[in-house]
Amino acid sequence: MDIDHSTGASVARQSKRRCRGAKDPGLWALFPTPRGMTLLVLLALAGCDRTLGNLRAPAAAGGFIDGGQSPAAIDNPFEGQPAAVEKGKQLFTQMNCAGCHGYDLRGGTMAPDLTDRYWRYGGTPAQIYSSIANGRPMGMPTWRDRLPAAEIWNLVSYIQSQGGATPAADYQAGEQGDLAARPVAPPAGSGPGANPAAARSAHP
Amino acid sequence: MTAGERSPSRRHARSPLLAAVGVGFALSACHAPTTLSGEPAGASTAATQPQPGATGASADLAPNDPPGDWRSQARDYANTRYSPLSQINPANVAHLKMAWTFSDGAQFGHEGAPLVVGGVMYVVTPYPNIAYALDLTKPGAPIKWSFSPNPAPIAIGKACCDAVLRGWAIADGKLIYNLLDDHTVAVNLETGKEVWRTKMDNPETGTTMTMSAAVFGDKVYVGDSGGELGARGWLAALDVKTGKEIWRAYGAGPDDQVKIGGDFKPYYSWMKGKDLGATSWPPDMWKHGGATSWGWVSYDPELNLIYYGTSNPSPRVPVQRPGLNLWSAAMFARDATTGMARWAFQFTPHDQWDYDGVNENVLISIPWHGQTRKALVQFNRNGFAYTIDRETGEVLVAAPFGNENWASGIDMATGQPVVNPAQEPKPGETLKNICPTDLGVKDWQPSAFSPRTGLIYTPVINVCMDLTDHKQSYIAGTPYDGMEMKRHAGPGGNWGAFIAWDPVKGRTVWSIPEQFMVFSGALATASDLVFYGTVDGWLRAVDARTGKVLWSQKLGSGIISPPMTYTGPDGRQYVAVYAGVGGAPMVEDKQAGFPAHGNTLYVFSLDGVSNSSGAGMITTVAAGADNTRMAGHEAPVSGSAHGY
Repeated sequence: MDIDHSTGASVARQSKRRCRGAKDPGLWALFPTPRGMTLLVLLALAGCDRTLGNLRAPAAAGGFIDGGQSPAAIDNPFEGQPAAVEKGKQLFTQMNCAGCHGYDLRGGTMAPDLTDRYWRYGGTPAQIYSSIANGRPMGMPTWRDRLPAAEIWNLVSYIQSQGGATPAADYQAGEQGDLAARPVAPPAGSGPGANPAAARSAHP
Repeated sequence: MTAGERSPSRRHARSPLLAAVGVGFALSACHAPTTLSGEPAGASTAATQPQPGATGASADLAPNDPPGDWRSQARDYANTRYSPLSQINPANVAHLKMAWTFSDGAQFGHEGAPLVVGGVMYVVTPYPNIAYALDLTKPGAPIKWSFSPNPAPIAIGKACCDAVLRGWAIADGKLIYNLLDDHTVAVNLETGKEVWRTKMDNPETGTTMTMSAAVFGDKVYVGDSGGELGARGWLAALDVKTGKEIWRAYGAGPDDQVKIGGDFKPYYSWMKGKDLGATSWPPDMWKHGGATSWGWVSYDPELNLIYYGTSNPSPRVPVQRPGLNLWSAAMFARDATTGMARWAFQFTPHDQWDYDGVNENVLISIPWHGQTRKALVQFNRNGFAYTIDRETGEVLVAAPFGNENWASGIDMATGQPVVNPAQEPKPGETLKNICPTDLGVKDWQPSAFSPRTGLIYTPVINVCMDLTDHKQSYIAGTPYDGMEMKRHAGPGGNWGAFIAWDPVKGRTVWSIPEQFMVFSGALATASDLVFYGTVDGWLRAVDARTGKVLWSQKLGSGIISPPMTYTGPDGRQYVAVYAGVGGAPMVEDKQAGFPAHGNTLYVFSLDGVSNSSGAGMITTVAAGADNTRMAGHEAPVSGSAHGY
């Protein structure tokens, strides 16, 4: 996505396009159940306001300036939803994330720790989304062509539940190193990292 | 010029000892023809004879390189890692001190040993695989040249066990080594310029290369890594002059791809049959079956056979791949010229615990029921040390060399393990206390053989695991793995040990328990010293007969590389080892006292004497009356203390 230094008006136009896209039959396939349809409607309503465009493909980490609001500051649309965390946990094993990042998400020689406050490419929800979707140079695969946006957000939700991610509203503080000393919250509910003493699972 | 004359001992009143050593050396140098490195040429033959009390095992030390050089990782084709040097001996080894060091700036684990030939030392870093030539003839061993191959960073995230490089080779005027991103490169030894670079595979598929290239004759043997990512395993031969690939033998699949033909004669009947490398898997699973070759290659020049092993099968969830999973967790003897398999042996059929078969095969001859048999010894991941007839693949000895509980023993009629059913994992169920853990009782860290004692000296891992398997889908470039493990120290509480092993009787002779894992290689010398290092950074010298620890020195980081020894241009014996923890031991880096990363090569000599250390060495120039330097020649004179 190109860096867009124009005003909020441009973003609104983009979002309206996406809003029409939200009624695209293709998207219904992602949410076939009644619960899913409800979720989709909620998402569409939220998106038409400003951020559904970012549900598809948030800008590259930290690159976008729009009237002072960075996409890195954008919330996870599934923020605070236990179902998203649970789905993300399943995906974490099914998509082999656990093989590199560890079943306890503590990382190893292949991949970084996802439970601490150090984020090489940024730790806000949108930045984590971007790392998953776009891949990273030292071997993180690219998932945007293999996973729908909603499933990537599920993974982001699961990672956030481990406590180390940077809240979107604290994006600037994260950039400036002011969150490093903040203790990591115990993982919420369904994460396997509930036992902080669990040994690492990186595999020779 | 002699060592005794050039090296006044500055700190110790024990200089008479050093002088005696120096005078003795000088006398031997006077009375016998010497090689370029100053060692008496006849010393090597006499020193390698079996001594009283030896096991009877012996070895062919071809190519019998000059004693003061160390021209290949394992020193010889047989992979003995035995040096004929004896200037450093049990009586003086406690005087070893650091002579000089070299830091290469790379952050990953350092697993290779320096090579020395022609007064130059050659090292290659872990990723980014920069090569350095150090001029040993000049004080400070300055960098003569460096070569940066710029491997692709994507490979870092595909290397299961750190972005390491386990060694490099020298042949035909070239330094030859693998890059993490699946290229093999050759560099002109004199100039440091690239001669050839061959693409061997694609890191996007999860395949990397971490092993040391091995050169025998006119061929370079290289293999891949990636058994944890469903890579397709292979070993290839390249032409040493051009890098052109001559043949490639896959680790699994139909016979023509595994290079099994009419000459193939496995000793045991359960390995005889057509296309077993495909039929011993569910359909097509051999295509992502692992069986990579990332370890060591040894060579018998009389039989013209190379010996090497294959990794675990993929995925690491055995219920997904019923069958023997040939030819994973196995070893091959292949014709070194054509690559055709002569025999094979699978150590761990249908491996369920990640017990690769890639460890070094040390080639020895043993007395066996009144005859001499050409054999090899492999300390396998699965905890059994095998002595195998290397002409036929018959298992002569198979005995545990550490703690294991997954098998009650080896059935000598078939060579197969008798598996303990309680230790077979089922997805979703946690099995407690399987010994050894995936790292095995020994991993790739290589052992050393002494022809004087007939013993093999080896690091040992004493770690067990609680294991939970998770079923896996194959997604290219991602782990095809599924083992969730919590590891703990095995019986006794020590994470590692260093032992002496009798390969004829199949028993441990002595053992040194270590708090941390022992992941260094071993070095044996003609003065009956053995060297090894620990993950927490201790380098130790040990009496080869008794196991008594004679000297210990703490280094700046953990030691996961093999120590080596050479004779410098000054005629002095040095011991060198990299200290830079990383690699597989990182799975326990939360252990209290675990060291930080490092990237320093340490070089030791008696009393630390060398052309890179000592009093003076350069000249101070007087300043002029107005505190400016005098006009004229102001270049410092270096090396003056040692008369070069």
